[in-house]
Amino acid sequence: MHRDAAAPSPASHAEADFASFDALADALGHWAGSLPGWAPARAVRAEWEAVAPRLDRARRELSRMLVVGVLGGTGTGKSTLVNALAGTEVTAAGDVVRPTTLNPVVVAPRDVDLSWLPLEAMQARLVRSDAPALANIAIVDCPDPDTQPTTETAAGAGGRPSDRNHNRDMLEAVLPVCDVLLLVSTAQKYRSWVVAREVAAFAPGRPLLFVQTHAGRDPDIRADWRRELESQGFEVPRIFRLDGVEASARSAAGLAADPGFRELLEAIDAELAGRAARRVRRTGAVDLAAWFARHSRSHLQALRGPLAELAAALAVERSRLEGILARGVGERLRAGRTDWQRHIAVDVIERWQGGPFAGFLHVLAALGAVWGRFRPGGGLIGRLLAGQPAAGGAGWRAVEELGLAEGEVEQSRSILAGYAARARIGAPLVGRARIDAAEVPATVGAVVERTGHWLATGIERLVAERRGRIGSGLTHWTFEVLFGALLVTVLVRAGWSFFHGNLWEGRPASGAGFLQEALVWVVLWGLALRWAVFGLVRRGLDRDIAALVSQLPAARLVDPLLADFHGAALAATAFCAEGDRLGDEADALAAAVDEPTGLGRLRRSPG
Amino acid sequence: MHTDASGTASATSFSAWAGSVAELCELVERLRPVAATLGAPAPADCDWHGVLFGKLRPQVAREPLLVAAVCGGTNTGKSLITNAVVGAEISRSVPEAARTLHPVASLPRGLAARVDLAGLFPGFRPVTWTSERDALDTDTSDVIVCREDSGGRQPARLVILDTPDIDGTLRENWQRAELVRNACDVIVAVLTQQKYNDAAVREFFAAAAAAGKTVFVIFNMVDWPRQRERIAGWLATFAEETGVAAAAVYAAPHDFPAAEAGRIVLHPLPELTPDGRSVPLGERLADCDFDRIKRRAMEGAMRVVLDDAAGVPAWLDAFVARAGEWRGSQQQLEERGRVRVELPPAPRHVVWDEIWSWLEPRRSGVDRFVSRGYRWAGARVTWAAQRLGVVRTAQERQQDFAALELAALKQALGDFIDRLEDACAADPRLASMLGSRLASGDRVAWYADLERRHAALPMVSQAYRDFVRGELDRFARDNPVMVQAILTALTVGAVARPALTLALGAAGAAAVPPLAVGATGGLSLLVHHVNDYVVWAAAPLAGEGAVMMAGKGIGPLVEGLFAGWSSERGRILAETLHEVVLGDGVDEIRRLAAAGSLPEVIRTRQVLDACARGCG
Repeated sequence: MHRDAAAPSPASHAEADFASFDALADALGHWAGSLPGWAPARAVRAEWEAVAPRLDRARRELSRMLVVGVLGGTGTGKSTLVNALAGTEVTAAGDVVRPTTLNPVVVAPRDVDLSWLPLEAMQARLVRSDAPALANIAIVDCPDPDTQPTTETAAGAGGRPSDRNHNRDMLEAVLPVCDVLLLVSTAQKYRSWVVAREVAAFAPGRPLLFVQTHAGRDPDIRADWRRELESQGFEVPRIFRLDGVEASARSAAGLAADPGFRELLEAIDAELAGRAARRVRRTGAVDLAAWFARHSRSHLQALRGPLAELAAALAVERSRLEGILARGVGERLRAGRTDWQRHIAVDVIERWQGGPFAGFLHVLAALGAVWGRFRPGGGLIGRLLAGQPAAGGAGWRAVEELGLAEGEVEQSRSILAGYAARARIGAPLVGRARIDAAEVPATVGAVVERTGHWLATGIERLVAERRGRIGSGLTHWTFEVLFGALLVTVLVRAGWSFFHGNLWEGRPASGAGFLQEALVWVVLWGLALRWAVFGLVRRGLDRDIAALVSQLPAARLVDPLLADFHGAALAATAFCAEGDRLGDEADALAAAVDEPTGLGRLRRSPG
Repeated sequence: MHTDASGTASATSFSAWAGSVAELCELVERLRPVAATLGAPAPADCDWHGVLFGKLRPQVAREPLLVAAVCGGTNTGKSLITNAVVGAEISRSVPEAARTLHPVASLPRGLAARVDLAGLFPGFRPVTWTSERDALDTDTSDVIVCREDSGGRQPARLVILDTPDIDGTLRENWQRAELVRNACDVIVAVLTQQKYNDAAVREFFAAAAAAGKTVFVIFNMVDWPRQRERIAGWLATFAEETGVAAAAVYAAPHDFPAAEAGRIVLHPLPELTPDGRSVPLGERLADCDFDRIKRRAMEGAMRVVLDDAAGVPAWLDAFVARAGEWRGSQQQLEERGRVRVELPPAPRHVVWDEIWSWLEPRRSGVDRFVSRGYRWAGARVTWAAQRLGVVRTAQERQQDFAALELAALKQALGDFIDRLEDACAADPRLASMLGSRLASGDRVAWYADLERRHAALPMVSQAYRDFVRGELDRFARDNPVMVQAILTALTVGAVARPALTLALGAAGAAAVPPLAVGATGGLSLLVHHVNDYVVWAAAPLAGEGAVMMAGKGIGPLVEGLFAGWSSERGRILAETLHEVVLGDGVDEIRRLAAAGSLPEVIRTRQVLDACARGCG
């Protein structure tokens, strides 16, 4: 009790491993279904749907006995070996006709509940056995994979017995319930292509035992078989070599097993029974999860390049569109020179109350307003400069008025669609090159709105700064004094002429002629001063517009136009990254539960 | 040992075939690349191909040789049996499976000097035998190791071959074994209790039986004599599954030490042999009726080639059917690959300047004087308006137009790509032809190409000038009175807005203005005019309207001149599509759609008929 608390037992280590395995399996399941819009992710999910039930079963049925599938080509002595293990003839074996075993036979201890075994789906027959070798495992004599015709077309006209042979199909129904594969082969069959294909398909997450039979007749080919298996990606700790016929005979006669068969019996006892079964199941499940993660990762591997290219292209196209927009906006801001000065001046002038120059400017502004009514709208920028709200049309027209043509946007989207296709990204993650009419308000409208806000703020800042330059009382009164000086001069000159010249010296009055002349000079002087005011307003305007426009990319105004591509690239990249993370986690877990055993396993895909 | 008469007769019928077979092979070779692009089965994947190219072509006109091959699954003892039949160790027998990687041929003395071995075994490079380990050489190329029988015991026209396995993990071995099977007349099938009913073994020998090969069966590794009575059952299953009627059956007992020492005993099984005789295999091979076997093999081969369900006729039918499907795809492409381009209104001065320069020498002095006055006044008004910022300068207008036009062309290119993608999504054949171009093409480069072509396109090209002059000259010739009327009353003008339709295939080609005819492959241009004639406010200045008013006949002429200009603009898009985006994909599709009526197809049918008559 005390010791238990001080140092956790290996079993509790294992339980801890299994808790993290549960978390891993949940994370893998969540990950596999997280991006259904992307075809490669859908492939991952489909793969997961095949793997998940096995993982789930492994978690639920951690302590149930192992099912060992005896697998191999026809004539390799599978049934003979099963009979030898059972100690009696439970399944037909021999050399009369090939194939011997047609339906799978499950041999299991007598008093074990096998209700979880789908015997009907497996088309299997159940035989109970008291053999000590089978006290802790259930064993399945599987149909062979090599007698069913390889292709439908090869299956003759239907008149041959083999046309009704579905052994491989039956085998593929049996193998999913097996926890461990016992691969039986002979000198003639260890390099069989068909068997290798079936084993490769079912080996992930299933430990294997390798047995060469017909030891009494055939040479020892274990070294060459090991090379062959290793080239297919298997880890092969040992290969048993025995003679099934002899073992069966000795077992039936109650004699002690010969060394080859005894080694196999010992291995079954040590590696597959009791606590070992738990370990096998746990390692198998973790191996399967790691295999799934590795497999998915290798499938996604090819898409990393295209995804990176898509991200790079996205940046290029975004800055291209921003460049076009910046050029268009800059051009239109510069072209609206008169609008600028009117916009700034009108406001300032409204605050310049009192004084003759202010009065003069008010009159001009009123005339300008009348003229402005006859001028065309000038788009968003024209409206902003005319002091109107930014809100305008949400269609392409509004964006095109800013200098960004629909064709340019379509170009960017078409280019990105090409990159996306290479990363196998398509609908529904991304839209077409031409933005769908229904999407225009959400995308193009958003660009107009963003640009409107950004421009309104920018223009407001420029205007405020310029208002500051001319809005002060000092500037106002300086101009009033300059304008007033001429007025005073004119009045003084007129007064002098009238009072001194006419009344005093008796010269004839100059009449309205002088006043008309004086009015022209006043107007010209007023216009000259107004020009000076506007000069103050205009000073550095081009530079400031350039500075404003240079900040356009930072405002990410065109983002809504490419938002679907951006989102898809991010999601797909995140999917790959999460796959990597889970793969590493699975590998780490697999390494943690890895214990040296006598069982073989599939380590990697065949090279 | 056999009558010369039968040999001569068979030689005559073979030589009658020889021409047809050679022509058939040539026709198939010519159709092969088309078949590949059509998506028809590759000839090399068809059963008849190996028989036609591997047996009939090399052997029909050659010195009649009998080729016997020892075939079977991995580690069934083929090499051991070959050595026993030849009487010397020509191929090393090892305990490991699938080690014979190359066929080894034992040739009668002097044959190598007489016969072109590369021609006799197509697909293989003959190399001279140096040791019994040659067959194990891991050289990856297809070689056949040839060894002459030094003892002179081998019959003069018999070639014996050891072959690689037919069911192992090395697929190359299967292919080599199939090449050998196709070339041979006699097969020594090595079966074992474990392998006589494996699917791979059955399928290999079923093909041999279908091609009329003579088969000797050897059951190896038999638990002798315990399993002797089992053999009849195994043989019956094998015969039923493969259609092989064994000419003789032997059993080789399982004797590992003897096999290690290279010794093997073949027990004849007269009870399973049709002639009931107990003759050693070597003798049977030496004594068999070469010409009859040869003829049977040749006729069997021809039967495979002529088979309606699986031979060349079936392949040809598939070929024609695929071409029909491509016609459907071509139609689909023509329906979907059609894009309307709304070009900005053509700058009117572009076309009118050309018309004016043509009219200039034909106008009266007074007219010219007044017109010059108008133009001078117009230029001053325009200058003033530009200074006021009310009107944009000519250069600015040109830039505006170019930007709008380029955007319209780009948009059309984008639409076109979209539509092609749709077409590819709907039709796998189109996807196979154009899909990879669309998916892996550098789209940045496509647009850059369009921009480059657009930048390089002058507002008015010399070709267009010539076109305008030609059109106007023709018009003046046909309507002398009208031209006179125009020249006396020039006032108001109109501008038409062009819309281009760019289509794939021949549709609408008749309406293409002459300038659009260029190197645009399967793309055609059609220029419509949106029918909104706009009376230009400043028209009195230029007097263009007078041309429009002067008579109904002039409307189509002016429209044609604008259309010519627009089509010249649109052609750059067609060129980009053809030269950069699609390449010759569209032409290729058209070629495939017409492949069903190629002269080679018709000729192949005739040759097949001729062969069938010869065979019958």
